[in-house]
Amino acid sequence: MIYILVIFIVIVTLFLRFIIGVDPKTLFTFYLLGLIIFLFSFTVAEMPPFGNPDNPTFNEVPRRYLESGVAETGAVNIVSSVIIDYRAFDTLGEATVLFVAIAAVVATLKSH
Amino acid sequence: MEDQIVRITSRLVTPFIQVYGIYVILHGHLSPGGGFSGGAIFGASLVLVALSFNLEAGVKQISHQTASILESGGALGYLLTGMAAIIIGGNYLANRSAGFPLGQAGELFSGGAILIITVFVGIKVASTIVTLFYNIIEGEE
Repeated sequence: MIYILVIFIVIVTLFLRFIIGVDPKTLFTFYLLGLIIFLFSFTVAEMPPFGNPDNPTFNEVPRRYLESGVAETGAVNIVSSVIIDYRAFDTLGEATVLFVAIAAVVATLKSH
Repeated sequence: MEDQIVRITSRLVTPFIQVYGIYVILHGHLSPGGGFSGGAIFGASLVLVALSFNLEAGVKQISHQTASILESGGALGYLLTGMAAIIIGGNYLANRSAGFPLGQAGELFSGGAILIITVFVGIKVASTIVTLFYNIIEGEE
């Protein structure tokens, strides 16, 4: 099986290089991207299934948010209570990033 | 670009987009949405006016001065809400422990500091989008 794959890749490479005339740099980039996609697909296959209660992310932190989030923040939307109450300092940093970005855009693009 | 269809359609649609943006901002603690998404919707309606008419019509709606004041005011309001929590008695950006009234969960005016901060973030994001658009359009002159 692996021999067939190697022979197929070699034939495709020779075809692209000499029959169609693809640049060697382009071919190298192409195969590098293919290798990266190949490796990343292994990482995705190793991830835990979505929504499984045995997942490592389902620990005491989301349980606390779901059970006592409404009583502690008064917001029915749990996402909103997390980003603006529990993680309000993080959202402040996010707003600061937005502020710095718009300041940089105005400083570079302002027509005088 | 002078197109009658685009002008009349955008003139009809813009108030509904703006009302929907305000709705998404104010109901950030009740339904999906919040300051960032609602502000993006509201800013997109102002961008739509500037695109379908011309830049002068957009600038007439919200000038550069107003946009920058709203931009800075949104960020400052967020910071001052956090400081108010310290003054009332609590940690920075605390909500219930600082003593903000939470109200009945599920009603419009509930959640204490969450509603205040969401409104400030919505103002800030809307004016950010408008300022970004105006500056990129005018940068070619």
